[in-house]
Amino acid sequence: MITALLWLALTLLLYSASKRIYQAKPRVYLSPLLVTPIVLVALLMWAHIPYEAYNSGGKWLSDMLQPATIAFAVPLYKYYNVLKKHAAVILVSVLSGSVIAIISSGLLAEWLRLDHQLVSSLIPRSITAPIAMSVSQAIGGIPNVTAIFAVLTGLLGSIIGPYVLKWFRIDNEVARGVLLGTGAHGTGTSKAFELSSLTGTISSISMILAALFTLGVAPMLIAVLFYG
Amino acid sequence: MDKLRNITMSAVQVVLLFFISIAMNWLAELLHLPIPGSILGIIVIFALLKMNMIKLTWIEQGANLLLAELLLFFIPSAVGIMKYIPLLESDGLRILVVVISSTFIVMLSSGLIASRITKRKESKAS
Repeated sequence: MITALLWLALTLLLYSASKRIYQAKPRVYLSPLLVTPIVLVALLMWAHIPYEAYNSGGKWLSDMLQPATIAFAVPLYKYYNVLKKHAAVILVSVLSGSVIAIISSGLLAEWLRLDHQLVSSLIPRSITAPIAMSVSQAIGGIPNVTAIFAVLTGLLGSIIGPYVLKWFRIDNEVARGVLLGTGAHGTGTSKAFELSSLTGTISSISMILAALFTLGVAPMLIAVLFYG
Repeated sequence: MDKLRNITMSAVQVVLLFFISIAMNWLAELLHLPIPGSILGIIVIFALLKMNMIKLTWIEQGANLLLAELLLFFIPSAVGIMKYIPLLESDGLRILVVVISSTFIVMLSSGLIASRITKRKESKAS
């Protein structure tokens, strides 16, 4: 119990320190989502402490993912009118994006001859971690591994996203929000909020819709495509 | 004094949202719903706000706090990578190729589809 509390406190401390560094110098490689886990993993491995010991405290933070997901109801409610105005565009493009995410992750992983369980763990990687884990469970993946792929997607997506916006001259706020939320879920959404509050809101709804669509269509799509 | 009140308020609301999430998990299981409790929670809270059954001020501060620190809650899962280091040593590069290419394809296609539709709508309107 005491050690669990210590790990929790250390995580909070490292997180707030790296967040402060990131605010002073906003570079991708200084992202708290990158720096904090690297320091913790290095420390645990150096001291030969198993992940389970760390996670006895860490899991309290993971448990907060569910209320945090529910918290998205607040921006949805506040920006309901804006969202309603762009509903058709958002629905069509997020649905297409979700289907493309499932197919491209699955096919690429199969072509590269990755292990079957890894393929299933990669398929839901583009949506927010807690829901990606349920999808992974349903389609025969390893939920914990999927969580890592989802975090990795968010991280890489927040690097790739701004380049895609620039190279392909996507300057419409709705399109930008859809792109970031569908491609890089929560991390993409924090990037989108850096651009504008409308972009961030569109990104939040895109990420929620992408999670819902993936939850709904992934099992069917996979049955048809990969085991058919 | 105001600051202290704000912090207490946010903390109380976070605890409230936490209990809502537990209740929603329980409800989703009880009703054998095919969606996880967190998604059910978004739908239920959104509907309750829309119907004026609950007030925005009851949860807004707590929700904003959770959303602002979203990255923190992913950290323990990210640390979990240490359990899979042997796996990543053998397949890491291929996994990286899948994640990067697929993310690029998803972003480009969803972004282009959205901007095409918006442009068509705008030209129709003018």
